[in-house]
Amino acid sequence: MSDADPSAEPTLDAAFVYAPELASWTLSPDHPFKPVRLALVKDLLETAGLLHADEVVAPTPLRPGELGRVHDAAYLEMVARVSRGERPEEAYRFGLGTADTPVVDGLHQSVEAVCAATVTAMQLVLDGRTRRAATFAGGLHHAMPDRASGFCVYDDLALAILRATDRGLRVAYLDLDAHHGDGVQQVFYDRADVLTISLHESGRYLFPGTGHSYELGTGEGRGLSVNLPLEPFTEDDSYLDAFDEVVPRALRAFGPDLLLVQAGADPHRDDPLADLSLTLRGLRDLYRRVAALADELTGGRWIVTGGGGYEAFSVAPRAWAQAWSAMTGREVPDRLPDAWRHRWREAAGGPLPERALDGPDDHPQQPRRQQVEEHNAAVAKRLSAVLEPIWRDHATMRASAATRAGAATRREGTS
Amino acid sequence: MLVRDIMTRPVVAIGPDEPIGDVTALMAQRRLRHFPVLDEGRLVGIVSDRDLRTVGSRHPKARPDVGVSDPVRALMTTLVWTAHPLDPIDEAASVLRHHAIGAMPVMESGDLVGIVTASDFLDALVEMTGVGRASTRLEVELPNRPGALAGLLDRLAARGANVASVLTTRSEPDVVAFVLRVGTMDGRGLARWLREEGYEIGWPLEREPSSGPEPT
Repeated sequence: MSDADPSAEPTLDAAFVYAPELASWTLSPDHPFKPVRLALVKDLLETAGLLHADEVVAPTPLRPGELGRVHDAAYLEMVARVSRGERPEEAYRFGLGTADTPVVDGLHQSVEAVCAATVTAMQLVLDGRTRRAATFAGGLHHAMPDRASGFCVYDDLALAILRATDRGLRVAYLDLDAHHGDGVQQVFYDRADVLTISLHESGRYLFPGTGHSYELGTGEGRGLSVNLPLEPFTEDDSYLDAFDEVVPRALRAFGPDLLLVQAGADPHRDDPLADLSLTLRGLRDLYRRVAALADELTGGRWIVTGGGGYEAFSVAPRAWAQAWSAMTGREVPDRLPDAWRHRWREAAGGPLPERALDGPDDHPQQPRRQQVEEHNAAVAKRLSAVLEPIWRDHATMRASAATRAGAATRREGTS
Repeated sequence: MLVRDIMTRPVVAIGPDEPIGDVTALMAQRRLRHFPVLDEGRLVGIVSDRDLRTVGSRHPKARPDVGVSDPVRALMTTLVWTAHPLDPIDEAASVLRHHAIGAMPVMESGDLVGIVTASDFLDALVEMTGVGRASTRLEVELPNRPGALAGLLDRLAARGANVASVLTTRSEPDVVAFVLRVGTMDGRGLARWLREEGYEIGWPLEREPSSGPEPT
């Protein structure tokens, strides 16, 4: 870490970036993207005693012009116009005013606040105040430099990554959402200092349609875009096997300074927008693997955001409680607090789950299990075979760069 | 879609007197598989990587009298199938398949303006399926009668869902199956709504009834 003193003891175990307005905006009253999820997970963590008052940090606003680091001026101008209440016909060309991204007054302010939360989480880690930060408001991985896409207006993740790369750090971005992380991948497709990895339901079936395993990055970034498309109805074990085949080796070959994780909760079986079939057990084990990799590779420095997760009451809060648990080592109690369940029952329109994990009866075996498992295993194996020589080259280049840097330091030291 | 939309240009052409060895080297260097042969601007032949590979080999079609220093005119195919820029690509593709060839020079008023190869048709197929624009797969079976597709597109428009592509995958006397790519994240919601409107949707599948929230 260049600016922060790595030997200094962070003041916080972990930070939870939060402001009430992050949970209170909507794209439209019945839109599937429900920011209220953020309030549910915070309340769940607090009620269960897993989140301490001093760990809740308010976002710091973005720097002037910071959105322009990722987004085109014409697009930013259009978002500003619709946010002022204008409804120009040509907004459609920027992905605004569509079924997925309806325009609402104040859209810019709401999404800018989400970006500020994610960037704040990153900055807390960069400044050494904590090694671990969570901000479940963010994770808008489909936003493109020139257009809104898939419920995402601004790319908070790319902005956060730039804060780190501006300091000369190497960032690994891991996208666990059920949908391909196309926006983030596109921004960093040719960069040597950012590794993007996305596990997702195959684009043959699901939005946005990209994320083929042959999308590998270009130029200096060749081999640093990693895509693992999975079959619809993929279950816990098959998902985790595919993760184990590709992700640890990709991260070790790249050698990141810190890890940014988009933990969309929509790989869960109950998600209404996607077809993966994970349970809370699978998601929990997935987040624990990520925490272990951060401990191994980045001195425990990682940031987690939300993303998808359209079962906003019964799944997303439980999934993100597990992500926070993996981050802090504090176990989510098997039985969720009654007070929490009662407080949100009315908003949820029904009773909330009693238990942290899903029961065995909630998830009957998928009929195509064997085909799905074989297909996923083959895709993961082929991908790592394709990447292996590229990773070897990267490791060699980093080793020789380190040797040169070491030699330079020694020369300076003796002069 | 027309040939001019998918053809490769500018096209690399060679003269009939180029030595075969040089042409082979140029083909490898440019990573191409077909060269039209032009004599003073006039198309006189075409030569493929397969033709060149027979030279000096024991290939059944190899000509023992032709060597790498001979001019390419000794080896080229002189009966050349060509396409016009305004040919529909389905017609051009069937000509390619019928003659079992890999490429056709594209000619307009006697001038060579491009070349269309099997790879161009594959690219067109990918383009036609709409992948590349953020979208969700939607499989629909429609009754085989006038207005059925128009009715579906009308319903999609009513939902504000933009259609990135429409592909016919199967056509029977009573039923036509379509694969559409629709610009929405909520493909399942769209499918549920279309089912309620009476449409037969193959994908996304209906979600099995979830066990739902547990009873209190």
